[in-house]
Amino acid sequence: MPHRAAAATALAIVCLAGVACGADEQRDAAAVAERFHTALGRDDGRDACRQLSATAASTVKRQEEAPCAEAILRLDLPRGAVASKSRVYLRSASVDLAGGGVTFLNEGPAGWKISAAGCTPSAPDRPYDCKLED
Amino acid sequence: MRSFIKHNSLSLVFLTLFIGAIVFQAIAGHAVFNEEQDRHGDPHISLGRYITSSAFGVAVMENWQSEYLQFTLFVLLTVWFLQRGSPESKEVGREGRESDEDQLVGEHARHDSPRWARMVGLRRRIYENSLLIVMGTIWIGTWFAQSITGVTEYNSEQLDHHEQTVSWLQYLGSANFWEKTLQNWQSEFLAVGSMAILAVYLRQRGSPESKPVGAPHHATGVEG
Repeated sequence: MPHRAAAATALAIVCLAGVACGADEQRDAAAVAERFHTALGRDDGRDACRQLSATAASTVKRQEEAPCAEAILRLDLPRGAVASKSRVYLRSASVDLAGGGVTFLNEGPAGWKISAAGCTPSAPDRPYDCKLED
Repeated sequence: MRSFIKHNSLSLVFLTLFIGAIVFQAIAGHAVFNEEQDRHGDPHISLGRYITSSAFGVAVMENWQSEYLQFTLFVLLTVWFLQRGSPESKEVGREGRESDEDQLVGEHARHDSPRWARMVGLRRRIYENSLLIVMGTIWIGTWFAQSITGVTEYNSEQLDHHEQTVSWLQYLGSANFWEKTLQNWQSEFLAVGSMAILAVYLRQRGSPESKPVGAPHHATGVEG
């Protein structure tokens, strides 16, 4: 019993510190990432763009010189990908995709929005290489 | 009530200063946090949200842990280490845990000594070291809290910059953790060391932290 109490106390402290204990938040972030990649899989650029942060959507439009719904489909991003693991720290999240690659999200007033997609590891201690970034 | 305030004025003044300082730290920290949010194009958060965040938590804990480390070490090291001429030090020749007679324990306790000081065995051992135990426990606890709030904030920034997150254990070996820790430790050690040596030569009339104004420089362990 004392061991269980100690473990529960440590977990409570860790959770209060905002560490990734919120299963709901992880599920919400993963759901947004999956919705994005599923939309790409059925060529629904409009729905895919709705999952992007305003900055990411603006970047896509500027880079491809086309409306977001059209521009997003031109990018070589994973289509129909399923989330395998999510991590949430405060208002930032990353979702690992089953087929490889990572999607990054931030939480704002409108919920979780994608800030980067089509990301793969580069050198150690360096940012991921992303096909789409805000 | 008046005598309560008079008898506890030192604690009450420092409690008031602490409350004032932490309130204003929260306000200033909240403003800084939202400035950073603006830079990233992220929405502002409320003051209530900020003071329950890891950003505020790590800022508070990294300072608390170093303060309690300072007192833990000061309490411990002054048992054996001396500074001739300092009121913060025991006299030369009295290093160590001292005799039961000097420490008024067991059969040498007074009628008004704390109860556990009059006992023998484990309870007296605990009481003999209670200041170190409590200070040390608070230090370890707040350092642990710093590490937890720190890894959360660190990983949040990692994700913001599209970088890999680290585990808590990895964070304990990180430059981020040790920079936060050591920047506080160095100032605490400097403060205590400065106090120990400056008090040899300088005076503050009326303060128990100082020797009497007319006390010679070589007088050790004397209070004003």
